[in-house]
Amino acid sequence: MSKTWYGDLPKYYQRQIAALGLDEAGMTRRRLMKSAAAAAGVAAFGGSIGHARAATQMQYMCWEGYNDARIIDPFNQANDTDISFDLIVDSPGGFAKLQAGASREVDLVSSDMPWVTRMGPAGLALELNPDDYADVYATFYDQFKPPFEPLLHDGKTIGVATRWGWVGACINTDVSKEEDWKSYDPVFDAKNKDKICVMDWGDWPILPMALHAGINPYEELDDAALEEVRKVLRAMFKNTRTLVADLTQAQKGLLDGSLLGCIGAGSYLTSAVRKQGHKNIIARVPDPRNGLKQGIIWVEATAIVKETDQPELAQKLLKHVVSKESGHILSLLDTTCNVVTNKGVEQLYSDEEKSILEVDYMWHAYDNSEMHRIAPNIDDMLAIWQEELAAAQ
Amino acid sequence: MEKADTGGMGQDTILDIVDVRKRYGASQALKGVSLRVQRGEFVALVGPSGCGKTTLLKQIAGFEYPDGGRIAIEGQDMAGVPASERPTSMVFQKLALFPHMTIAQNIGFPLKLRARPADEIARKVREMVDLMYLKPEYLDRFPQQLSGGEQQRVALARSMISAPKLLLLDEPLSALDVKLKKILQAELKRLHRSLGVTFVHVTHDLEEAMMLADRICVMRAGEALQVGRPNDIYYRPADSFVAGFIGETNLLDVEVIEVRPDAVRYRAGDITDADGLLPRALAADAIAPGPAKLMVRPELLAMAKNGEPYPSAITAEITETFGKGGAIQFRAVTPGGQPVVVEVPGTSHWPARLGDTVRLGWHKRDIYLLQERA
Amino acid sequence: MIGEGEPKGWRQPELWAKALPSVALQTLFFLAPLLMTVLLTFQETRSFMLQWAWSLKTWSDIFSRPHYWTILWHTLWMSALCVALCVLISLPVAYALATRLQSMSGHVKVLITFAFLTDATLKTFGWVLFLDQKGAANFLLERIGFPPAMIGFLYTDWATLLGMVYNLLAFTIFTIYLSIANIDRSLILAAYDAGASKWRAFWEVTLPLSRPGIWTGSVLVFLLSVGVFLEPKVLGGGKSPMSAELIRQTFETRVNWPLGAALTIVLMVTAVFVILLFNRVYSLRRHGAAA
Repeated sequence: MSKTWYGDLPKYYQRQIAALGLDEAGMTRRRLMKSAAAAAGVAAFGGSIGHARAATQMQYMCWEGYNDARIIDPFNQANDTDISFDLIVDSPGGFAKLQAGASREVDLVSSDMPWVTRMGPAGLALELNPDDYADVYATFYDQFKPPFEPLLHDGKTIGVATRWGWVGACINTDVSKEEDWKSYDPVFDAKNKDKICVMDWGDWPILPMALHAGINPYEELDDAALEEVRKVLRAMFKNTRTLVADLTQAQKGLLDGSLLGCIGAGSYLTSAVRKQGHKNIIARVPDPRNGLKQGIIWVEATAIVKETDQPELAQKLLKHVVSKESGHILSLLDTTCNVVTNKGVEQLYSDEEKSILEVDYMWHAYDNSEMHRIAPNIDDMLAIWQEELAAAQ
Repeated sequence: MEKADTGGMGQDTILDIVDVRKRYGASQALKGVSLRVQRGEFVALVGPSGCGKTTLLKQIAGFEYPDGGRIAIEGQDMAGVPASERPTSMVFQKLALFPHMTIAQNIGFPLKLRARPADEIARKVREMVDLMYLKPEYLDRFPQQLSGGEQQRVALARSMISAPKLLLLDEPLSALDVKLKKILQAELKRLHRSLGVTFVHVTHDLEEAMMLADRICVMRAGEALQVGRPNDIYYRPADSFVAGFIGETNLLDVEVIEVRPDAVRYRAGDITDADGLLPRALAADAIAPGPAKLMVRPELLAMAKNGEPYPSAITAEITETFGKGGAIQFRAVTPGGQPVVVEVPGTSHWPARLGDTVRLGWHKRDIYLLQERA
Repeated sequence: MIGEGEPKGWRQPELWAKALPSVALQTLFFLAPLLMTVLLTFQETRSFMLQWAWSLKTWSDIFSRPHYWTILWHTLWMSALCVALCVLISLPVAYALATRLQSMSGHVKVLITFAFLTDATLKTFGWVLFLDQKGAANFLLERIGFPPAMIGFLYTDWATLLGMVYNLLAFTIFTIYLSIANIDRSLILAAYDAGASKWRAFWEVTLPLSRPGIWTGSVLVFLLSVGVFLEPKVLGGGKSPMSAELIRQTFETRVNWPLGAALTIVLMVTAVFVILLFNRVYSLRRHGAAA
C-alpha cells in the first residue's frame, strides 16, 4: 500500500482527518458520491424533493438574485423543469462566455441591459414580439414600456427590462453632508484624501468621472476627449487610496466611517445596508453639470437565447421572472435591494420596504441620469484606467 | 612500570573520568564509569552494542554532558565546556565529511574556524595530506568522489590538523571490508606512534582492540568491567563475561573452598588435579568461596600423549574437529558433560580423531580462577 | 554521477512505446493550450468580439505602452520581496522544527497544513478584519497607548506583501524543513567538534546543506506570487495591481483576449527567465565554491 500523507502524524490528528473525511477512504467516498451525482443528473444532487428526475432541464445565466429559490422553485414545480444556473460575476465576461459557445446550453439570460442588447447584433438572442408580452407590459412603469429604445436592435425587441437602479455617490450622512454631493467635487477635495472609495467594477467608476469632466462617455470620443478622461482619472487616483471590488468591504467602510463616499456604485450598494436599518447610508445622484446629467441608470434585462431548445418554457420563465411576485422577491434580497420595472410590485411594498429602496427618490434619480449603454470607447477608457493605475504606483 | 589495571597516577594523566553517569529516559546508559588515560596512550573501549562505549565517548567529546561524575582533561574539569572548546577531536563512525566542501576545505575546516591565515591553512593541509598518504590531486574533489578508504584518511586528517590532545575514534573502521580494515589499522598504529597523540578508540571488534591498544576497557551495560593491558584482559579476565567476550575459552566448573592471602584452594569435578591449590595471583581479585570457573584458553591445552605428565588434566571425548589452516580445533565433552575446546598447531597428521577419548592437560601457570559477576 | 547506461535506455523501442501515451497526453494538455495562447496574441478584438485577423497589433501595443511593464516590474519586485521574506522567516522556523521542537513537530506541521488548507480568500479577508479601522490590531494598539497606526498599513503594498507572505510561507517552511531534517546529525557534531559555535555551525554546514530546500521553496513561492491577484486587490486596496489582476481585467472586463493572452505570455516568459537567471547564478556560485 502506498503511504498516506497523514501517516506520519500523531494518532489524534489522524482521527480528526478521518472525521473530516479528508482521509483516503473519505476522499474515495466523496469521489464516488460526486460521480454518482453526475450520473444521476444534477436533480438527484440538488435534492428538490419529489423531483428526482424532472422532465426538462434548463439553464439560466443570470446575476445572483435571479436564482433565488423562492422565485425558481415554484416555476420548477409548476412546469416540471429543473433549472441550473450559470452565475455572472462580470457582465462582459458573461457575454464573452455566451459568444464562446455557452449559448448552446443556456436558455435564458438576465444581465446588464447593454450586454443583453448586444446579444441582438451578435445573433445570440431570440427576437421578442412585444405583443406576446402585452400581459407583462400592462403593469410596467411607462418608462420601460415598449418601445423601450435601449433594448431595441434594428427596431426589434431583444429583451425585457427587469431590475434597475442608479449610480451616483454612496454616502454616510453621519460623516458627510448630503448637500456636499450635489457634484462629484468631494472626490477631488484634498481634505477627503484617502477617504473616498472607488469601486473596482470595470467601467462603472470611469463613467461618472467622465461625466464630471464634461465628457459624455456614451458618445464616440476623440483623442482630446479621452485625454480629459485620463486627467480626471489621474486626479481621482491622486486623492484616493482604495479600490474595492468587494461589495461588503465597501459597505463596511461606509458604515464605520472610514470611507466618506463610494464612487462607481449606487442604490445597488446602499440598499442592503438600509435593509439592515442603517438609513444613514444613501445613494445620491449629483445635479446636472455643464449640460450633462451626472447620474447613470442601470437596467438589467432578460432575454431568450436564440439556440434554446425550449422556446416556450423560456418565454414562460421570462414572464415568471418579471411577474409581480418574482419582482417583489427580486427587489428585496439580502445582498442587494433594487427597484424593478414592474409597477405592480410597488403596491406590494410596505412603507419600510419603500424606505429601503428609496422609492420616493427613484424618479428624481431617473430624471437626472444618463441611461447606461455600451460606451463606444470603453476599451480605450479601460486601457487608460490601467495606465493611470500603473502610473500612480 | 605502571600498575596495569588502574592506570598511572602521575601528572601525566591526560584524561580522568570519575564515576560518570548518564541516563536516557528510563535507561541508565552509564552507571558510574571511571577510567584514567595516560598521555600518549592508545586506549580501546570495547563491549557489545549498547554497552555505553559510544555514550562515554560523547561525554568526553562534549556532545553531551554527564548527569553525574566528573571528566577532566589535563587536570581541567570539563563540566559545561562545549565540544568546540575541548582539546579533543572526533573521528565519526559515518565519517561526517562535509559533502558541500572539497577535500582541502574539509581538512582545513578546523583551522578556518580558528581564523588562521589562508597560507598557513594550505600548508598544514598539505602536511596532513602527505601524512595520510593522500594524493594531492584529491584536494579539489568532493568527498563523494573518493573511495571509502580515502574518505577515512580525509576524516583522520581533518581530526588531526588542529593538533588535538585527545583523538576520539568512534568505530571509524567498522564499515570497511576486511582487507582495507587491516591496512587502516596499521595506519592508525603508525599515526599513534609518530604523532604521540592520545587515542581513545571505541570498537566492538576485539581483535582490533587487542592489536592496536595499549590498554583495553571492557564495558557491559553501562559499566566498565575491567581495564588492563590486552594480555591481562586475555589471560586474566576479571569475570566469566570478560573471559567469554574476549575470544574463545574454556570455563570448567570448580568450587573454591578457601581463599588465603597466598593461595586459593579449590575442588574440581572432572579434573584430576594434583593438589587443588593455586597461587593467589592466578585467581580473580574478587574471588570468594563458592562455585567458580577454571579458565584455560584452547591454545594452552595440550593433548597428552601416553606417559606425558601434566599436573592437571581432564578426560574428554572428541565430538567435532575443524581444520583452521594454521591450527586444528577439537571440540570435546567431558564425562560430566562439560564442553571443552582445544586448539593445537596444525600438522599434516592429526593427533586425534572423532570419537577418540583423550586426556587434555595444562600447566598450572596457564589457568585462572574466576567467578560470575555478582 | 548518473549511470552511463541511462541515455542508451532511451533508444530502446519498447521504452518509447511505453512513454508515448504520457508524452502525447503532456503535449495535448500542456503544449496545446500554450500554442493556442500564442496564436491568440496575433488576433484582434472589435467591440468585444474576437476577430481572426493575423496582426501584430497586440504586440506593438504591449511594447509601445510602458504601463504594462510598470506593472510587470512591480509584480517581479513584490514577488522577489515575498520570496526573500518567506525564506528569512522559514529558516529559523524550519530549523527549530527540525532540531529544537522535534517532539512537537508533528503538531506544528499539522497546524501549518491546516492553515495552508484554509481558503486563501478567507485568510485574506481575515487580515482585512484584523487590520482595518475597527479591527483587532488597532484596538490593541489603542489599548497600549499607540495611535491606531494600522489603518495606515491596510491598503498599501506592505499589506499586500503581508498577505502574500502569509499565504505562501508554508511552502518554504516545508521545503526548508525537509532539507534540514535530512542533514546527518553527525555533520553538525563534526562542526562543533572542529571548533564551531552553534551559529557558525549553522552558517557553515546547516545553511549550505539546506540550499536545495531554500531553492525549491523559493522557486515555488516566486511562481505562485507572480500569479497573485487576491492580495493586491483586497489587502493592497486594488490601487497597485499586479500582473495577474491586469490579465484578469484584460480578459474579463475588457474582453480583450489577444491582449490578455499576450500579457500572460509576457508574464510566463519573464518568470521563467528570472528563475533560469537565478539558477545560473546559483550553479555558478556552487561551481565557484568547488574551484
